[in-house]
Amino acid sequence: MSGRGSSPRLACAIFPHLALSLVWRAHPELREEAVLVGPGRRPGSGEVLLAASGAAVAAGAVPGGEWRQAVISCPDAARLSVEETAISELRWELRLALQDISPMVEWVDDTLAYLDAGARDLRWPTEAALASRLGRELQRLLLVPPRVGVGQSRFTAWAAALATDPGRARLVPPGRAPHFLAELPVEALPLPGAVKERLREFGLTTCGDCASIPLPLLQRQFGPEGLLLNRLCLGRDGATVNPWVVPPPCGVRRVLAGPVEDTEALRFGAPELAAELAVELAQRNLAAGRLRLLVGGEGGESWELITPPSPAMTKEELLPLVLSLMARVRRPVEVVELQALELVAPPVRQRQLFPSGGDRREEIERAAARLSERFGGGLIWRVAVRPEHPGDVPEERLAWRRA
Amino acid sequence: MLGDDLRNRASPALGEALATLRERYGSRAVLAGTGLSVAGLPTGIGGVDGLTGCDGLPRGRLTWVSGELGQGWFDLSLAILARLSTSLPAVLVDFSGRVDPNDIEAYGGDLRNLWLVHPRHPEQGWAAARALVEAGAGITLMVADRWEPVRRAAPATLLGALESSGGAALICGGQSLPGEVALRVAMEVECQRLAWTRVHRDISGIWVRLQVGRSRIGVSGRSCRLRIALPRPYFSGAGVAEAELEAEDLTLLREASG
Repeated sequence: MSGRGSSPRLACAIFPHLALSLVWRAHPELREEAVLVGPGRRPGSGEVLLAASGAAVAAGAVPGGEWRQAVISCPDAARLSVEETAISELRWELRLALQDISPMVEWVDDTLAYLDAGARDLRWPTEAALASRLGRELQRLLLVPPRVGVGQSRFTAWAAALATDPGRARLVPPGRAPHFLAELPVEALPLPGAVKERLREFGLTTCGDCASIPLPLLQRQFGPEGLLLNRLCLGRDGATVNPWVVPPPCGVRRVLAGPVEDTEALRFGAPELAAELAVELAQRNLAAGRLRLLVGGEGGESWELITPPSPAMTKEELLPLVLSLMARVRRPVEVVELQALELVAPPVRQRQLFPSGGDRREEIERAAARLSERFGGGLIWRVAVRPEHPGDVPEERLAWRRA
Repeated sequence: MLGDDLRNRASPALGEALATLRERYGSRAVLAGTGLSVAGLPTGIGGVDGLTGCDGLPRGRLTWVSGELGQGWFDLSLAILARLSTSLPAVLVDFSGRVDPNDIEAYGGDLRNLWLVHPRHPEQGWAAARALVEAGAGITLMVADRWEPVRRAAPATLLGALESSGGAALICGGQSLPGEVALRVAMEVECQRLAWTRVHRDISGIWVRLQVGRSRIGVSGRSCRLRIALPRPYFSGAGVAEAELEAEDLTLLREASG
């Protein structure tokens, strides 16, 4: 496909979080209310606030922050939860719809997407037609009007979308990006806070101020970030779209020496399978929304499926699921294959503010110490195998210590 | 939920109002008499997971595995704890004083994930369980041959901690519970020995039958049969398996039942 013009063009769509859109779809009466949306299971300590309405954000709720903090910041808000599966379905539907508009779609998160708007397509003779179609398609699926911006770079398109009202599109013509960005405050730049702070100290409050400073001076002050600052303010930060592709399937396979009839023997291999799959998933930075155990033998192939309560990624999360799957195998097995399906980004878990420490083991150790203080030593014990235990006498194998 | 389905058919407005209330104020704002949906903690033992109706031990609830001494509940509960300790912090409150951590290791447990509580009084055991669950223990096992009465608040606060942390707890042993504990138990699973399994005339394992006696979260009456390979010196095959009785076991079973 040839380009629409000589310079690259990019469309950016900003829309309310998919979880919030689903809530509004079910409860239109809450459109103007403060709403907090948590994950499907009952949100509790350690859970993340998925999305919040404008009124809730204004009251102090921070999407991506801890649920409990959000509830404290905004106690009167309606608290709802949305199942991850519902969000996944809507996400899938939106991606397909956007891919129909442009083959190059980048899904940044559940509130933001970029499309390549430079390719020639007879259906959209102008950028305005493409932007209009994009807005209408999103509104049809989300029932909420999105903001659309078109520009020559990612930052320009994003700033254009942000500058417009919901349900409208802002087009920045080629070469007009520096002029359009000139009035934008430096706070909007995707740069580290320290850089923005120094810019303010220098009296540079808008992108126009920064663009007027020669590049060598900016580089001398800010190093590599000076170059990025210059490119952002001039609308030359690049127009690369990282297209979304369906993740390839992920699995591990074992061919056994002979038919294994005893499920207990089969389960001895479970930790190894779980560990290998965890390594595969970690390399791709993905978590499994579903696990399938494929077993083959003389009678042909069969499979068992299990869906974890939340996407599993680590060996610790995978092992109980693998064991549960293996317990269902009822016939001699020669080949075992463990497949991770419905691959998604790993679940986000924020470090908790109120219960100190993120590691449960550390917290339990502290709780045990408090209990020992309260009830005296000898209440809680830890046991470990002695490194050089004398023989196999059971009483002498273990070393006991007070927790 | 069946009750909700019937109400929805009878009055769609009522069903909608209930759904709105639950979404707005939490799933437990309005509760039906039966049919609560409870998340499960998979144990990896198919029979046990299928028994509870929630694919594992019910999270946020107390489950009681009852039975007389020698009926298999002790080893079954240790095997479940051992399996879960490979992936979760596990707490064992030993009121009976009979637990040998060697057995937990023999069942494949990870001792690094195990905190063993030896309470001097029942109250201490319940308080320790609650504090450790609050701190993040994923599975708690409380073992006693006979359950002593405790303050009403002790099981209630443990249940509260389980609900907020999403952990599961097993109470094992005994044929009756004090009223204040029984009140908080969501499911009772009766454990009954069917037969011993033997190798060279030595007892190597035990066949047990598990049956859901009373359940506030699922269907009562479900049952399964399990074979527990007991921990033995110089033998590494201890564990729990779900399998059909073999001819030799059936003979033993007939002998046992007279």
